[in-house]
Amino acid sequence: GGGGRSPLPLWQRLAAVAVLGGAAAGAWLHLRARREQERRRRRARELRALALGQGDFELVDHTGRPRRKADFLGQWVLLYFGFTHCPDVCPDELEKLSRAVELLEADAALPPLQPLFVTVDPERDDVAAVARYVRDFHPRLLGLTGSPEQVRAAGGAYRVYARAGPKDQDGDYIVDHTVVIYLLGPDGLFLDYYGRAKTPAQIADSVRRHMQTYEPLPD
Amino acid sequence: GKMSAPSMQERKACWGARDDFWRCLEAQGEDAARCQELRLAFEARCPQQWVKYFDKRRDFLKYKKKLESEGFHPPETTGKA
Repeated sequence: GGGGRSPLPLWQRLAAVAVLGGAAAGAWLHLRARREQERRRRRARELRALALGQGDFELVDHTGRPRRKADFLGQWVLLYFGFTHCPDVCPDELEKLSRAVELLEADAALPPLQPLFVTVDPERDDVAAVARYVRDFHPRLLGLTGSPEQVRAAGGAYRVYARAGPKDQDGDYIVDHTVVIYLLGPDGLFLDYYGRAKTPAQIADSVRRHMQTYEPLPD
Repeated sequence: GKMSAPSMQERKACWGARDDFWRCLEAQGEDAARCQELRLAFEARCPQQWVKYFDKRRDFLKYKKKLESEGFHPPETTGKA
């Protein structure tokens, strides 16, 4: 049989509980931090595996200034690929993109968002053409163009399909292309995308959520 | 030489002419012969390539409507322009 145990004084019992409780809380916090770290690493691997938007590009903006992809690091970017001779989709999507940017600008707590237009029709969309085009949308909308090779490389990096249709007797043609707005985070990585069905408010809500929960990825 | 792309003003004039023509077609039970003036205005306001593109688009929208009303669910398009 067991002998009688004399109870510890109250203060010693409270101290024991505090120490054990502290140890348990510490262990739990440590475990949670480890899980968070693992989740971030897994996400980093997945995003890198997508390899979307990797590589550099050397384009020219609508003021004639050379722009590389690295120039946009540290900024949030909403990116759309289109062409100035586009009948309806590109103006609609750029209008939508502009409205989304405006909605987010209204919130002073959020970082700035750079709207970006990249042409899929470098043969016709030179600097002057892009400059004429972008001024109809958001005042900060930056248009990019360049040589056919560079433009093809930039589009390819974002898996953007683009194919020029047959020319008519005026030499006019439509470029069939992927219609999507990309969200890029400050580390330059693709974070999300928005199709034709998304409204400006839906895009703004999604971007806001990404901005508020953004964690720089570990290397 | 290179043709300039339509300006925003020109785009909106084209879309307006297109919408006028399409409203006429709907009102006239798709009888294009009864909408010739609006057809000509549409062709005058829009680049030829856009007229072709919008014609095809309307055919597609009509086809889609027909499928939906007949209870068949068409696959989602990728929304290519």
